[in-house]
Formats: sequence, structure tokens, C-alpha cells
Amino acid sequence: MDIKTRDVSIPADWDRRGLPGWCYHSDALLDLEKEELFKTHWQIACHVSDLPNAGSFVSFDLCEERALVLRDASGELRAFHNICRHRGSRLVTKESGTCPNALICPFHGWVYNLDGSLRGPARPESFPSLDKDVFGLRPVEMEVWNGFIFLRFRPGPQPSVAEMLAPFEAEATAYRMASHVPTDGIWTEETPVNWKSVRDVDNEGYHVAMAHPALQDLYGSSYQDEPYVDGVSRTVGQFSPSKGRRWAVRNYKKLSRPQEHLPEDLHQKWLYFGIFPNSVIAMTPETVLFYQEFPVTVGRSTIRSATYRNRDEDRQQRAARYLTARIDRETVDEDIQLTIWSNESMASKSFEGFYLSDLEYGVRTHHNHLRKVLPVYTLEDAPEQADLAALNASMQRT
Amino acid sequence: MMAAPPPIDHDDPTAFLHMPVGKNGSGAARYAAAMQCYNNGLICAEMLEIYRRCSKFDLEDPIDLARYEEITVPAVCLPNQQEPTS
Repeated sequence: MDIKTRDVSIPADWDRRGLPGWCYHSDALLDLEKEELFKTHWQIACHVSDLPNAGSFVSFDLCEERALVLRDASGELRAFHNICRHRGSRLVTKESGTCPNALICPFHGWVYNLDGSLRGPARPESFPSLDKDVFGLRPVEMEVWNGFIFLRFRPGPQPSVAEMLAPFEAEATAYRMASHVPTDGIWTEETPVNWKSVRDVDNEGYHVAMAHPALQDLYGSSYQDEPYVDGVSRTVGQFSPSKGRRWAVRNYKKLSRPQEHLPEDLHQKWLYFGIFPNSVIAMTPETVLFYQEFPVTVGRSTIRSATYRNRDEDRQQRAARYLTARIDRETVDEDIQLTIWSNESMASKSFEGFYLSDLEYGVRTHHNHLRKVLPVYTLEDAPEQADLAALNASMQRT
Repeated sequence: MMAAPPPIDHDDPTAFLHMPVGKNGSGAARYAAAMQCYNNGLICAEMLEIYRRCSKFDLEDPIDLARYEEITVPAVCLPNQQEPTS
């Protein structure tokens, strides 16, 4: 399947309901989501440029699991559970950094080579001989796609990242994002909503004209959402021909100029690939970025994001990138408020659920993907929380 | 202008063993290198333990600590392969 043969049509008579409200405040469901969505589906950990040298590492925590990605002495990228084989301590405690020649557990001092094998335990004379591979770090499944490093904690239903994103390979490759470099590191923020409320807002552009004046000024009239098909959605915003009424947009449109490496049809677009269940890669002429949301509790989520730029950037491009970030930051703040309003409605006994526009079909297709993984989402009324996992398992069998 | 330091040879554990005291991350790098030297029979468990104790403190000189504790410092631990000292 390629970008032209994906069926992105909206059915004439589709079920316009969203997920039932109980799905947004169920601890038992969150436990299932952690196990069967987050740990079994690909997650973006970072970009290859976050690991420039031997020993560079990035740590990545997700739903009580923790991983580290590093570049070993030969330049190869590796991903491991960030867990010492001795007593389970974190090996790296910072979000990123460099460990020049080995990983050292801060608890007792076990030492691991950068290829994950055990160099030696602290006080080695107190142990029998330890096999360096048997006691080596446990690897985490990893795949690099166009420079982005994806991890998966457990095998799951998705194919490889390359296969999943194959329809967009040509479009993505044009951005040369694998050779991009970091801008200002990986940003995280905790927000007081269920993770699905973040995704529900991000999965549709119906609200753009109402809630995002800068985006509307930039590309609102052309905004197009393609729904989730086989785990991936696509959204395109073509710059509108107006000069721009808002300061940041007006100057961005003035400063953004065609990038030589991009085909003409991408010169004036912002493009987004949504990757089920919780990640987005976004591309502008000046930058590529990822963002994602993870559950912390049923009512709290972490938003995580990082932006990368073209390696060779002149002053004009830099200024355009600054304005991109300004427009984006404004949009994120507006979205956070929308997610709070949406999320609180899910706890109200008076709210009867979503009734979605054709322009929100992306929300429905994301929910359909969720229902396929966890059929318990299809129950209109909350099941007994203690029975939820068993009920879901029985629904999966039928 | 100061000359750039030579690149570190990742296959030579002594390169990290002699990382200058005070350099960011040097305590851990020295201990990791000491573990390699221990595996190769170049230092004893007692000296390895000195490096472990210094591993979180980039400013702590393991040679000074070994001498303070009257542990014989193996030649490989000394810059430029000096004679062992205690």
C-alpha cells in the first residue's frame, strides 16, 4: 500500500460516538492499557542525533518500565532495560548524558560494557565466576526509522515501524530527517488529564479555526486530516496564500523559504504522521519533531516532545524555526486547556458522550484501533473494575 | 591555544584509568577501567575497591587514597608506568 492507495474515505453512515466516559477514569482499564497498548506498541525514545558519541545515552521511562538507548564504542546504537542485573537499580539516572567507557550501577557498582555485557561485579572476589553475557543487560527491541529511535518493551501486534510507515516513506525521506540535529533537548510536562483526552484533541482539526488562531492563520483553510489506517494517520496543512494577520505567522511566512532538498509540494506545508497509539512525528520545512503522551495515573499524563533542525541552517532559517516554535508553543498551550475541558466532561453523569463531525473521523478511527486491541472499550457501561481484565480477555477470545 | 587532547583509545583500559582527576565523569571512567584491569590481572581486588570508592567523586584521586590506606599502587595505575609505590 502506498500513500495513494490508502483508503482514507469517510463512510456515509458511520457511528459518531466516542469511547464511553468510564474509559477515561478507570484504574483497571489503565492497567490493561499499560500492559497491552503502551508496552506492546512502538514508542519513540529519541533521535539518532541525541546520541552523537560513544557512550552518549538517553533514558526512557514508560509505564513502570525503563530503558536506556546508547551508542557503543563502535558507534552502534543499542537499547537495554535500564535495570542492573544485580538488584535492579537504574544504571543511568539522568534523562541523557555520556558514560565514556562503561555503565556503572550507582547502587553497588556493577560495571557493564557499552555493548551490554557485564564487565564485572563490584567486589568480584565475593561472587563465583559470572558469565558476562548471562549477566549482561537485557536488550529492548529497537528500530531506527528515518533517524527516530523506536522502542518496544514487549512483542505486540504492530509490524515493524518501517512496514507501518511504508506508505509515507518517500515523503518522509525527502525531509532528510535522519541527518537533522537537536535543538533544545527533550521536553516533558505533566498534565492533569487521562492520556486519551490528549490524543482525542490532537486527532482532529475541526477545532483549529475555533481554538488555534495562529494555525488557522498559517494553514487553517487547507487543513486536511486523514484517519488512522493500519496504525497511522496523516495530516497536512498547506500555507494559506494570505500574508498572515498575526505577528509570528506573518513573519514566519516571510522568512520560511523553499528548502532545496524538498520537492516543491512540500515547500509550504506542515505535515503530521500520527502513529498509534500515542505518538506523532511532525515536519515543517525547517524542523522535524516528535511528541507523545504517556499515562502517569488515570487522571495524569506526561507529554514528551523534541524538535530537530536541518544540520546546515542560516540566520533566516533559524529565525523561521524560532517562529515555528512560537506558533507551536501557543498551540500546545491552547490544546492543553481543551484536553482539560474534554477530560472533565468524562466524569460528568450529565455528559452523554461525543457526537463527532466528519471532520473528526480521525478520533473515531483511533478509537476503533483501541477497540481492536482492547474490546472492553466497546462496553457502554463500566464493568465491575475487578472483573475488567478477565472480561476483556473473554471478549478477545470471541 | 591549547592543543586538543589525543582521542581516547576505547580498547586500552589504561587510557581511562589515567583520566585526569577533576574531569567530569572521570571517577566512574577510572573505576570502569580499573575493572577491566582487574579482569586482565593487572590490579588486585583491594586496588579495585579503591577505585570503586572514588567512582562517584571526580575530584577524589584514587592514587592518593590508596597511599593513605597504605595499599601498594600497581604500576599500571601510575601515569607513565612509574615504579609501584605504597
